[in-house]
Amino acid sequence: MAQTYLHPAREQSAALKALKKRRRGGAAPYLFIFPWIFGFLVFTLGPLLFSLVISFFDWPIVGKVTFIGLGNYVEMFTDDPLFWKSLMVTLKFAVLFVPLNIVVALGLAMLLNQKVRGSAIFRTAFYLPSVISGVALAMIWSWVYSGDYGILNYFLSVFGIQGPDWLNDTNWSLVAMVVASLWGQGSMMLIFLAGLKGIPKDLYESASIDGSGKLRQFVSVTVPMITPTILFNLITSIIAAFQQLTLALLLTGGGPMKATYFYAMYMYENAFKYFKMGYSAANAWFMFLIVLTLTFLVFKSSEAWVFYEGEMKRGPQKKPKPAKGGRA
Amino acid sequence: MKKQVSLIVLAAALMMSLSACGGSGGKAETAGQGGGSGSEKTLRFATWDTGDALKIEQDIAKKFEESHPGTKVQVEAYADGFDQKLAAGFGAANPPDVMYMWDFPTYHQSLEPLDSYADKDKDLNIDDFYKGLFNYGKIDGTLYGIPAGFTTRVVYYNKKLFDEAGVPYPKDGWTWPEFQEMAGKLTDKSKKQYGFGVRAENDTYDLQGFVWSNGSSFISPDGKTIDGYMNSKDTAAAIQMFGDMLKNGSAVLTGGKGQQSGDDIFKAGKIAMWESGIWPLESFRQAGVDVGTVEMPAFPGKPVKGVLAESALSIAKDSKQKDLAWEFIKFYVSDASIKMRVADLPVRQSVVNELKKDQDPLYKPYYTMLERSDNTPAFLLNPKWNEVNRQLSAAVESVMHGSNAQDVLNQAVKDSERYMK
Amino acid sequence: MMKKTLSYLALILFSLLFIAPLFWAITTALKSPQELYLFPPKWIPSVFRFSNFADAWNIQPFNLFLKNTLIVTVLSTLGQLVSCTLVAYGFARFEFKGRNLLFLIVLATMMIPWEVTMIPQYMEFNYLGWINTLKPLIVPSWFGSAYFIFLLRQFIMTLPRELDEAATIDGASKLTVLMRVIVPLMGPSLILVAVFQMMNCWNDYLGPLIFLNDQTKYTLTLGLSQFKGMYGVDMQSIMAITCLISIPPLAIFFFAQRYIVGGIASTGIKG
Repeated sequence: MAQTYLHPAREQSAALKALKKRRRGGAAPYLFIFPWIFGFLVFTLGPLLFSLVISFFDWPIVGKVTFIGLGNYVEMFTDDPLFWKSLMVTLKFAVLFVPLNIVVALGLAMLLNQKVRGSAIFRTAFYLPSVISGVALAMIWSWVYSGDYGILNYFLSVFGIQGPDWLNDTNWSLVAMVVASLWGQGSMMLIFLAGLKGIPKDLYESASIDGSGKLRQFVSVTVPMITPTILFNLITSIIAAFQQLTLALLLTGGGPMKATYFYAMYMYENAFKYFKMGYSAANAWFMFLIVLTLTFLVFKSSEAWVFYEGEMKRGPQKKPKPAKGGRA
Repeated sequence: MKKQVSLIVLAAALMMSLSACGGSGGKAETAGQGGGSGSEKTLRFATWDTGDALKIEQDIAKKFEESHPGTKVQVEAYADGFDQKLAAGFGAANPPDVMYMWDFPTYHQSLEPLDSYADKDKDLNIDDFYKGLFNYGKIDGTLYGIPAGFTTRVVYYNKKLFDEAGVPYPKDGWTWPEFQEMAGKLTDKSKKQYGFGVRAENDTYDLQGFVWSNGSSFISPDGKTIDGYMNSKDTAAAIQMFGDMLKNGSAVLTGGKGQQSGDDIFKAGKIAMWESGIWPLESFRQAGVDVGTVEMPAFPGKPVKGVLAESALSIAKDSKQKDLAWEFIKFYVSDASIKMRVADLPVRQSVVNELKKDQDPLYKPYYTMLERSDNTPAFLLNPKWNEVNRQLSAAVESVMHGSNAQDVLNQAVKDSERYMK
Repeated sequence: MMKKTLSYLALILFSLLFIAPLFWAITTALKSPQELYLFPPKWIPSVFRFSNFADAWNIQPFNLFLKNTLIVTVLSTLGQLVSCTLVAYGFARFEFKGRNLLFLIVLATMMIPWEVTMIPQYMEFNYLGWINTLKPLIVPSWFGSAYFIFLLRQFIMTLPRELDEAATIDGASKLTVLMRVIVPLMGPSLILVAVFQMMNCWNDYLGPLIFLNDQTKYTLTLGLSQFKGMYGVDMQSIMAITCLISIPPLAIFFFAQRYIVGGIASTGIKG
């Protein structure tokens, strides 16, 4: 993602400047991106602004619509314990889910990146949960997690461990949701796999000539080389964590005792269970701002820890450059 | 050049196919909304039912089409997403003409008052309906829904488990202490077998039956007070009873929304007694459980009270063809249609008498409970009940997780007071 | 040798972990009603009732749902491919006023939660008379989605500019350059976009749920959710249908994965 910012800057400084004039195709570029502009205005910006407007109203789905200014936002911050509760649940979930998701996806990708037979089958197997519909997935998980009759506790009991009633235990239900969510890491694993495949072999070779062990190679070659992929997956994971809804809706309904009452679910219930459209729009806008801020912060921090291949690859061979992306 | 041409052809083909499906879709839409504009009228009918119950409803719709040439009934099965779909439809002033309804306090502003229709239409034969059913479709004395089906709640029991434990089957007129004693005998931890299942997330609506049976209620009869009702000693005792059964191990906590439900565990033969409406009865039989039904136990010295779950039919205020909609409703609650509907209980006494439903030992308890269902549920008494219920539900849930009922109910009353003004 | 064995062991173990859900779905679908709820669970049904699949498929008009799903999937995927290619090319190969700002907006739209725009979108589609048609599920994808535009743009940017320049000097128009020079080189990434879009469409649940009313317009996932009513769940049918409708995406994935992995590698998400 960060490359977005990288390229314009690079181009301007490049010798390609001479051709720039020709590339300014007058109206042509706008014609090319017109489909997106049109779609953005009609299907995104319009509804987005409208929802901002709604958020200043008391807007029940049936009944009278009244303008209340910032009323919804004030109520949200000062007079609604569920708002804070659900925000905390989502933050907790994100803190657990985001790093684990990246570790699991990366781990599986590394397993697959070895020279093994039948890798196509393994890849398909790891991706499998991603193609199963949410309705069925929720059912499968309920069967896994059930306290007395669940398959997980059945396995644990073989080892003499008495497992909790996962989904009905306030201490465990969120953890159970995290694990269930990790199941769907398929696309992230694929992206990591592609990233790993893009690491030039000679980097490992020179590292092993230098006498680095496997672990050392992982730390000094693999990780730095895939930091851009990590950045991409980090951001999509954060977005996914905040928008987590389906599983909660279908599996726990937010319980027990609101232990898995995600912010997205809170928003959804305000709209569709309590029919407070205006209030729900205010919730949604607040979440949008949070995700935007988080993403911005991650981008900002990425200057310090993301290394771009262009620099890295040439690094050992040509003269070293600062390992940092330029920014427009 | 060839590729470019083919791209343009492709794009053109896409455009055409789109406008094609647009064309037909658009037509159907005008027919649906405009009603009489075309040769065929389309009546939209939304239901929450699925599976066999939905099949029956579609059959009734077909019968209606046959007897009303030029009319098409579009059955819209919203299933689990009923409220979302209905909300979206009302919000955009594009609701179905006729819909299933039970939550009148929430929706009544968008529904057509039906008194005038019901009054002038003698064919409806209101007196044949079970008394009291109409009360559930009224808000402030105005009728918004015609009852189409209902169920009361009973105790299901697994005969095999009773036989194995040597416990005699429960009989009408039993009491909660007897119930608890049986549950204890029927529990066998080593087999993961329990006497009873308690829902982790109860619908407080269903709990009202127990609260009424213990001589209390969630809200005062005038709908203005909850203090002293929702947190009364008797209300707390009724709810605490279930929390205690979980604590002493004679009941198991059954899953919330999407989890292994009590129905499933009952089917697996792991709980001996289960409390519910008529909905799971058929699936219990299919799963091969030898099931019996019995009326709810009584609190010693107090009369048993029951709670009704009713499905009614309503017409949207925004409907453009209300007369046709009314015709459909009338058809839907006619003798012939009611006989077709076997997934819940008939609303007409004449049908029940004819089918001798109330003689069948498996069905009799539902009718016994019907006679005991004469209290008014809380949500019909206070327009803000939805908000109060949020607090109450949380309180009840925490009792199932070990809290003291009296304490959490006191707190819930305190937190709800602002909605009672 | 030891290490290899360990790798295989890990791979197989994890595969089992990920396959288990589908395995359970299949055995559940095959069981007789009496065996469904046994505990401890029966892993292998005593009788394989293959007729359960056909029964579940025929309880509801799933042929119709399949047709609707195919219409949506094919049309929206084609639309997505065409529009995203055009837009990505525009962003990748031209300098124009506001380009960076516009591209930033493209990225920002990825972060908008669907719930924010859902209600207004519903009102808009209703105004257009599109509710209860397949159009809300198809048309928006004709105007590009941020994720795919981003992906394709990254890919086009890795292609040497000299290719375009040469063709331009020959007098070809920009569109011709795109069609004759760029698109033929984009194979893997276009397959990637197509597959991801097909998966999304195939499994989309909330969109059809909100926008479709009439059963004759339903998609497969919506048909599937019809087994879950307000008062009961037909678990067996859900599992049977889940197995059946998972086959096409799995097959597509299996055959396309080579390109997918290659596609992502070449788009330069990784830098």
